[in-house]
Amino acid sequence: MIKLENLSKYYKTKQGRHYILKDVSIELPTDRNVAILGPNGAGKSTLVRMLGGADLPNRGKISSDKRISWPLGLQGGLQGSMSGRENVRFVARIHGYKDTREIENKVRDFAEIGKFFDEPVKTYSSGMRSRVTFGLTMGFDFNFDVLLIDELSAVGDANFKKKSEALMKEKYAQTKLIMVNHSVAELKRFCDAGLVIYNQQLHYFDSLDDAIEEYETRYVSNR
Amino acid sequence: MADTVNALLLREVKTRFGSNRLGYFWALFDPIAQVAFMATIFTLIGRESITGVPISLFLIVAILPYKLFSKLLPQLSAAVSSNKALFGYRQVAPIDPVITRLLIELVAFVVVYLLVALILTWLGIDAVPDDFLKLLLATLLLVVMCLGLGLALCSATIYWEDTPKLLSIVLMPMFFISGIFFCATMIPAKYWFLFDWNPVFHVMELSRDAFFSSYQTPVGDWAYLSVVSLGCLALGLGSYQINRLKFVTQ
Repeated sequence: MIKLENLSKYYKTKQGRHYILKDVSIELPTDRNVAILGPNGAGKSTLVRMLGGADLPNRGKISSDKRISWPLGLQGGLQGSMSGRENVRFVARIHGYKDTREIENKVRDFAEIGKFFDEPVKTYSSGMRSRVTFGLTMGFDFNFDVLLIDELSAVGDANFKKKSEALMKEKYAQTKLIMVNHSVAELKRFCDAGLVIYNQQLHYFDSLDDAIEEYETRYVSNR
Repeated sequence: MADTVNALLLREVKTRFGSNRLGYFWALFDPIAQVAFMATIFTLIGRESITGVPISLFLIVAILPYKLFSKLLPQLSAAVSSNKALFGYRQVAPIDPVITRLLIELVAFVVVYLLVALILTWLGIDAVPDDFLKLLLATLLLVVMCLGLGLALCSATIYWEDTPKLLSIVLMPMFFISGIFFCATMIPAKYWFLFDWNPVFHVMELSRDAFFSSYQTPVGDWAYLSVVSLGCLALGLGSYQINRLKFVTQ
């Protein structure tokens, strides 16, 4: 269970505060795979980042007794000036690993990006990036209860998708997902529940189909 | 936190000194070469000694802490903004890169200090401080001041991103007014007021006072330096506490 209490998040703009979430209190289950739905700019990524501790709410708090991953996605997680290997090393070290070689090799073998593994991340294509990001979580034995995924699987090629899905199913049988993706087909494959963002509130639906229905009535005009 | 600082340390050391071992050599050689250059110039043009102290040693005792000051302050004040991407991991707190950079600069300072002292001893100059504890205290107060100012500047950078540029402009004249190639006894007493507001000047005066029992500073004031240093630290910690969420969210 992830508990959100009186959560507010805004960004300062030239026209004043732009609220993304306002006084949200909700409990998200951690025994379901939850899809987050909303149009661009509604705050999906921000929500995922807050859940993962990479961003902080302006008011209120998020609490959970589960182990939640950092947000896996295109944006964050990897630092551009460091190589893939150095990023992996860094993440291993902040989690308390002293000998990082084994993990480095695991991620390298999973990512299959060849010599680019030792080049700065800023030279990567978005697909290569997501391979490393994904490999990072797979290479560790973190035993996350919840994986936060922000548009991650959208970019891999067919081969990589197949590989990562198989690994996820095998290794993370117990792990649930909270997922942002613009492809409904993708969401339907992974998720069984949905969370729709509108009016600066979160609306949880036990069935993904209901959530998609709600999302489309709210946001898609010519359906 | 220890794990995070360790990870940051290894990362920072690598980016700072480059990936090959020659980088470490340059990191040590650069300040030593500067010290040697200054000492040689002033030995050639100046007197042989000041209050019975060889002029090279007289300069070095001030140049080394000044180098620490002029490197530590910009490094610390940019510590948060240049590691922003890493706050995405919740293990990394904004204070961690600050601690990391402080450690790196301190270790580099101590190593360079020891090397320079060794070289001087080899040249036949007695480079052992007369009052080691006082020298340590003066250096410590300098470090505390830098830490406080650095933290405060980290916060200032959130509100005004050109702060580092202003800092480098402000630091430029510091070399000339901090009593590096002169000391208080060379200045007429009526002009002391031009220098004695500057805490770094006090650090230099007190360092020389501690290092050479033959030099007694008429200006250096432990109480003033302590108040300024601790004041800076309080300011820095306070501004960090107020802005600690902004460091992550911005």
